[in-house]
Amino acid sequence: MKKYETVDHTADWALRVYGTDLGDLLTNAALGMSSLMVEHLDDIPSQLTRHCEIEGHDAESLLVAWLSELAYFAEMEQLVYSRFALSQVSSQHLSAQLSGGRVTELQKHIKAVTYHDLEIAETAEGLQATVVFDV
Amino acid sequence: MHKNDFREITPNCYEIPKSFRPDMRVPARFYADRKLLEGALGDKSLEQLVNTATLPGVVKYALAMPDIHQGYGFPIGGVIATELPDGVISPGGVGYDINCGVRLLATHLDRDEVEPYLSELASALQANCPSGVGQGGSVPLKRQELERLVEQGSKWALKNGYATPMDLERTEENGCLEGADASKVSDRAFKRGLSQIGTLGAGNHFIEVDVVDQLFDETAANRMGLFPGQIVVQIHCGSRGFGHQICTDYVRDFQQAVHKYGIHLPDRELVCAPLSSPEGQDYLAAMKAAANYAFVNRQVLTFHIRRAFEMVLAGKVSSHHLYQIYDIAHNMAKIEKHQVDGRELELCVHRKGATRAFGPGSEVLPGAFRDIGQPVLVPGSMGTASWVLVGTEGSMAQSFGSTCHGAGRTMSRRAAKKAVRGSDLIRKLEASGIHVRAGSMPGLAEEAPSAYKDVDRVIKVVHGAGIARKVARIVPVAVVKG
Repeated sequence: MKKYETVDHTADWALRVYGTDLGDLLTNAALGMSSLMVEHLDDIPSQLTRHCEIEGHDAESLLVAWLSELAYFAEMEQLVYSRFALSQVSSQHLSAQLSGGRVTELQKHIKAVTYHDLEIAETAEGLQATVVFDV
Repeated sequence: MHKNDFREITPNCYEIPKSFRPDMRVPARFYADRKLLEGALGDKSLEQLVNTATLPGVVKYALAMPDIHQGYGFPIGGVIATELPDGVISPGGVGYDINCGVRLLATHLDRDEVEPYLSELASALQANCPSGVGQGGSVPLKRQELERLVEQGSKWALKNGYATPMDLERTEENGCLEGADASKVSDRAFKRGLSQIGTLGAGNHFIEVDVVDQLFDETAANRMGLFPGQIVVQIHCGSRGFGHQICTDYVRDFQQAVHKYGIHLPDRELVCAPLSSPEGQDYLAAMKAAANYAFVNRQVLTFHIRRAFEMVLAGKVSSHHLYQIYDIAHNMAKIEKHQVDGRELELCVHRKGATRAFGPGSEVLPGAFRDIGQPVLVPGSMGTASWVLVGTEGSMAQSFGSTCHGAGRTMSRRAAKKAVRGSDLIRKLEASGIHVRAGSMPGLAEEAPSAYKDVDRVIKVVHGAGIARKVARIVPVAVVKG
């Protein structure tokens, strides 16, 4: 099953992400966003780990808050993560263990994660959502 | 959506009636010619325009400018006005880059005098003005100082030696929106903002050296001091991570506010709250802080640009002095009074990728410009022309004192990146006599001129519709991209 793909959006960048369940979708969305920030995901060093807890009002706002957190680390510390171990996932909360490292140059600066047309939809294979980034 | 859904009001303006969708509160109007209308049907921008016509308190029309393109929530190039006290304010209607805008500086030099030093000047501008992601600014600030800065705007810059009194006089709102409140801004926004004052950032932001190509209104041009062949400088940037974080925070918080106030919306990015509510007032005070941040950011960049000009040109040309023509926002919500159907209403005018364009006589304009109308600065895509316009009686009567803000994208970033190589683009621009300094090659390709509409066509529409008037066309000779 495909994890994510980039889709066309006139002004900005958008990702369609897939998952068997919410935890899988959140993981794939994070991977997809990292793939926009570096040329190859394999190039991300995995020398640093970090723990984070994210809250949301519902699954969509949890997804935006989660990706906004990762965009913040990238902007402030040039830190990009490539491994995500999620636990205690509900539509209002997630805990995550991140593993990644500092990169010399970000290929893309994700300035914000939007709610535009954002809906986590059920499909025959699981869940799907399209996230539009402000770049 | 089909072109038959639009009624031609004039050859430069089309209307979608209120009956088009049951949730529309007002009709929508799109300033465009037939070709731009057909082009805009290619993405979701006009559907987004219709969505903005559903916002509570919206008056008269939801408007779109000819440079419209698809945004998130609001279209880029959208203008809506909501009536106080209970009309809404929408963080998504202002956008993430709060007070993204343009500043125009002018020299007393003509092209021939500067030509031999242009390459050196481009390099000095790039070296003096930090750009790209993670590039720290040149102004080390502590949190308390940044709080003062965002409440005082350009007055802070004046006190600290980064501005002249004339710079402030020739900036929208004199570079300070009164009522900015640092206590309505999150810690995270301050953390992102601390190191970014005086930086250009990435994306479509730039510093450009241009030459005045053609004048269309001698009186207005003279008043601004513009002459053919003159070297001028444009700055395009905004409130950096500080503004982006404020928008992120309030779009998140307003997801709850819409339930509280019983507001139903076609897109979650349009979330909003009544201006009379605590949520609406908090966002307005935080937005003003970001607007002030952006005014200071462009002001500190101006300081660096003046230094670069001094470093390269002092002693070699007759004068390296740069004076300000104007500084204008194109992502902002402002409380303004406008005549609507014969009544004066107090409105919150959202301009998302649209420029304020006040006509002659407006009291907020500096004396030198009061009888010609407000200068409007419209940057084109990289390597193509930009325009200086003035606001008109027509913009006051038709568009809440607003007009277009740029060329408007027509191709997605992904498609542009596939179609154009950054290095090829640099060669092409350099071959046409434009010096280019860019932080990122793929980033440069995304901004290729072929990804944008024809800015001259956009200007023809706003001029033809009477919502701005042509003053001067300027063309680039050196570009610094983030």
